[in-house]
Amino acid sequence: MRDCESIRQSIGRWLDGELEAPESESVRAHLASCAECGKAQQQLESIQQMLKKTLLAEAQQIEFLPFWRGVQLRIAQRTPWHEQALDWVRATFTLSRAAWLVPASIALILAILSLESYVPGWREGRNSFASVESIDAYGRNVALLRENESKTTVIWLYEDQEGENETADEPAKSAPAF
Amino acid sequence: MRPLMNPRNQLRLFSLVLILAAGWVGAAEKNPQSVQVTIRTILAENKSDDFDPKLKGMEQQLKPLKYRSYHLLKAEDQNVPAKGTGSFEIPGGRSLTVAPQEFQNNRIALKVRLTERDKPVIDTTVKIPNKGNFILGGPPHEGGVLVLSISATAQ
Repeated sequence: MRDCESIRQSIGRWLDGELEAPESESVRAHLASCAECGKAQQQLESIQQMLKKTLLAEAQQIEFLPFWRGVQLRIAQRTPWHEQALDWVRATFTLSRAAWLVPASIALILAILSLESYVPGWREGRNSFASVESIDAYGRNVALLRENESKTTVIWLYEDQEGENETADEPAKSAPAF
Repeated sequence: MRPLMNPRNQLRLFSLVLILAAGWVGAAEKNPQSVQVTIRTILAENKSDDFDPKLKGMEQQLKPLKYRSYHLLKAEDQNVPAKGTGSFEIPGGRSLTVAPQEFQNNRIALKVRLTERDKPVIDTTVKIPNKGNFILGGPPHEGGVLVLSISATAQ
């Protein structure tokens, strides 16, 4: 059995129909059996009725037409595209969804990085050439060739045609043979 | 409600899978223990039109060099430790040393040095795709030129 103090605190919500069924039933039963709390209920009801009457009398004096016109005007106004985009972003990227974005992005990056290791040659077009990082030919001439068809990198050593011990038919001592 | 229907648990499970995936990728990028280096020494000349059948598969790579004949003089394989150096004898009193430097993005960096009678001819560092090769050519030899095909495979 609930005490009178607790019941009186619930009367307002009971009158507004805000209580769950069991609690509402408990308040109703108590009010039926307790004269003091019944009095408190009647007081609250009379206050509510007075308030309702006063508000209705005030509301009759208010001009609602301009207010509704304003509301209709706001509805009819087209929202700018940037506000629409912002609304879409807010609705789409809620905090719970954004939390998924972080691991999903990491997973995507990992997948891209691991592809080259597990599927060698998937970046065939741009990564299959040998690349020369440094070269020192100790004064000799060097030519570099990258052949697209076979994806071949060639480092070719040669000497100037005016060099010593040169023979006309010696390809190695002339310009590169490609 | 089943435990996996809870979005928080789903996120936890996904994160766990992600951590395992990261480990998997890390393992894939681990440096190899050794690198198998293969040197094919080819004599290119213009005295005939012969193409050595042992060089089958290299036609496209040799085509830009514009010589008429190609003969395989020597082919040598060595398993070179990741931080070690492999030494190869090249005809004409030459020597080629190959030192694997690093393995990254399925590419191997090789430090290559060609010497002739102990004098350096060329020092170069080349990054090649794993199981790929590059060509180093030009030193004169017996009326033609030497062409070296240097390939590497991570082990």
